[in-house]
Amino acid sequence: MAPPRRTDPNYMDVDSDSDISMIGGDEVRARGKGKGKGTDKRKKDKGKGKAKDQAYTWEASYTRSWDMVQEDETGSLQGAVEDLMARGRRRRLLAPAAAIRRTIIRHLVLLLDLSAAMMDRDMRPTRFDLSLQYAREFVVEWFDQNPLGQIGVVGMRSGVGERIGEMSGNPQDVLKSLSDRTKLEPAGEPSLQNAIEMARSSMSHLPTHSSREILIIFGSLTTCDPGNIHDTLDACVKNRIRISVVALAAEMKICRDMCDKTGGQFGVAMNEGHFKDLLFELVPPPAQRTVARAGGGGGANPAADLMMMGFPTRLPDSSPPSLCVCHSDMKSEGFLCPRCMAKVCDVPTDCDICGLMIVSSPHLARSYHHLFPVKPYQAVTSVEEVGERAGICHACGRAFPTTPSIAPASEGISPLGRYRCPDCGHDFCTECDVFVHDVVHCCPGCGK
Amino acid sequence: MEKASHLSVIVDLSPTQWYLSAQATNPYPLPIETFLSHLLAFLNAHIASKHENTLAVFGAFPGKSVMLYSSTETSTLVDDAPPLDANSYPPFKTVDTTMLQQITHELEALGHMEEEPPCALVGALTKALCYINRITHPSTSATSVAEDPAILSEPHILILSVSPDLSSSYIPVMNSIFSAQKLKVTIDVCKIYGPDTVFLQQAAHLTNGSYIYLERRDALLQYLIMSFLSPPSIRKVLAAPTQDKIDFRAACFCHKNIVDIGFVCSVCLSIFCQPVPVCSTCRTKFPLKTLQRLSVARPIPPLANSRNTPPLTSINNGAQRFIPRPANGGMNS
Repeated sequence: MAPPRRTDPNYMDVDSDSDISMIGGDEVRARGKGKGKGTDKRKKDKGKGKAKDQAYTWEASYTRSWDMVQEDETGSLQGAVEDLMARGRRRRLLAPAAAIRRTIIRHLVLLLDLSAAMMDRDMRPTRFDLSLQYAREFVVEWFDQNPLGQIGVVGMRSGVGERIGEMSGNPQDVLKSLSDRTKLEPAGEPSLQNAIEMARSSMSHLPTHSSREILIIFGSLTTCDPGNIHDTLDACVKNRIRISVVALAAEMKICRDMCDKTGGQFGVAMNEGHFKDLLFELVPPPAQRTVARAGGGGGANPAADLMMMGFPTRLPDSSPPSLCVCHSDMKSEGFLCPRCMAKVCDVPTDCDICGLMIVSSPHLARSYHHLFPVKPYQAVTSVEEVGERAGICHACGRAFPTTPSIAPASEGISPLGRYRCPDCGHDFCTECDVFVHDVVHCCPGCGK
Repeated sequence: MEKASHLSVIVDLSPTQWYLSAQATNPYPLPIETFLSHLLAFLNAHIASKHENTLAVFGAFPGKSVMLYSSTETSTLVDDAPPLDANSYPPFKTVDTTMLQQITHELEALGHMEEEPPCALVGALTKALCYINRITHPSTSATSVAEDPAILSEPHILILSVSPDLSSSYIPVMNSIFSAQKLKVTIDVCKIYGPDTVFLQQAAHLTNGSYIYLERRDALLQYLIMSFLSPPSIRKVLAAPTQDKIDFRAACFCHKNIVDIGFVCSVCLSIFCQPVPVCSTCRTKFPLKTLQRLSVARPIPPLANSRNTPPLTSINNGAQRFIPRPANGGMNS
């Protein structure tokens, strides 16, 4: 087993072998609230390490993995490999589930570099194709976790910013704007300033309790701007826009500055996998504190607010067709704004007539799991603890192994493959443990 | 060639509700014995329609959920294999005996209780999802039967419900619905007895399933076979029953009123029917400026509430006098 890399005395004990950098930067920052300088120091290390000298930091626990690989009685390595995989999956769950306030209503502009530099083939098949593919996956995942959020897409090519997709809360709209690669064919030089100005202006009307974010996927090493980009940067700071950059080539000073000043994250992708990781780190809602800090001292306007929302009436497919206010299409299905009775095609959205935010209750419910997470299951470490319990997983009915696995046990991993809910006391298998915490967010034993 | 499908059936087995359902005063009384014989015929039909079809049955008992049958785990559920009968098709025989044994066993284990705890529908639903997750992403572990993921691609869940909605299970039910969406599982609901359940209506709607309220309960088998036997991919060519009215409105956290326009905390998304100064769920204090603005902008409240409004605003006005200067200045601007 790799030596534990504990740098922070406050860190949870069970985490000794888990990887620190898997925790998103904002959580680290939020956790660091009120703690000693140890946390701060580590944060700095981490920022540097990611961009420059270190390879995947989580590779640390895989090094010398051959030491612990052991054949089982039939001479197969299957058990050992499985065990490794189980560890990897579970590691993520050990991240502290501290209660943090998160921005749930998010607005993001995805800024895609469509300059000639994106045709580089250092990432397969090309940087452009790869980032397009990841951008689509990112959008799907993002909307899944932020159902009340909205995404707009802006491209940078030929020295101008180009609006590719309007700010929309419908994943299908966003995906549609990213679907046609021939329309997005890279050309010319990118202009960061033009594109950021365009993104900024499209977010200028948003209320203060929602987050404003720009995510730049940047492949070029140059930018050709009409004016001083630092003015744009200052304006972004003033507007509390959080800029995050995923660079594909190398670190640029201006990109780093943008992220640091606005409270965003900066990363240079080392390879395809790392690119995806950097991108997907930005999916979970950022902790509220980060947003407040991005405000840069202008703390007069607190981020929490009471919002007025309308719950629409859904028109059945059989109702008489009428025009919708959003596309002026003739259709029978739709939703009626409860305040002005205008008909909109899809929710969540802002009513085009009266501006009321229209959501359906499932959209709100989709965010509740961020607020009421399932308690982490505890690993059952010894045969004595099993006692009289059933020999099958309480959720999926799979039989547990009766003999403990031979691989050396580490903290948080059960040699018996049993994970126990602290509330209902039932045992679950590794797969269900991960599934319950990542997807269902509801313990099958307790039913809540 | 269509693919094999997996069916997970969740049976609501609340003794009280089934007793009520069997009462002769109902238009079409349906005792549990008749129900089970219909259900078993339906399950047999599912197994018979394709050799590779798989089946799992989960029972929601009061305060407990149990896996009653699964085509991959038969050995672990029943102690002694049923004796083979020359006159019956063995797979049918296995399903029927296992189901009946398990149900009898569980119902007997319930014993006599003063008050029946609510049915563990959520537990059964999450178990069904975990089970589907497991068989659709087969791991290499030696305990599970090796299955080809290409064969097993069309899971759907059928919920046979007799109990009314349980308001405390709203969030878990919604979470289960979203995970079903993620797994691309269709949830069908057949409401056999009792009032419509809003949660299950939403479940069927959000996963593209059908929700059927059984009117002729003596024709249960016919409903089951006509609407729920076909796998989701075939439904497209059939005229599957759809539902028109789905209530997507939400209940406020403060008075449990159903609201059209609500006030939502931006931090925890709690819903309130009127502007409140502090969120009751996460204790966030809202700026007074917003409260004022919202009290002005709020729609004309229904008559019952209008009497409450003046005191509320006067409280707010009263509070303003006590707050220090800077905040006051902020409000005036």
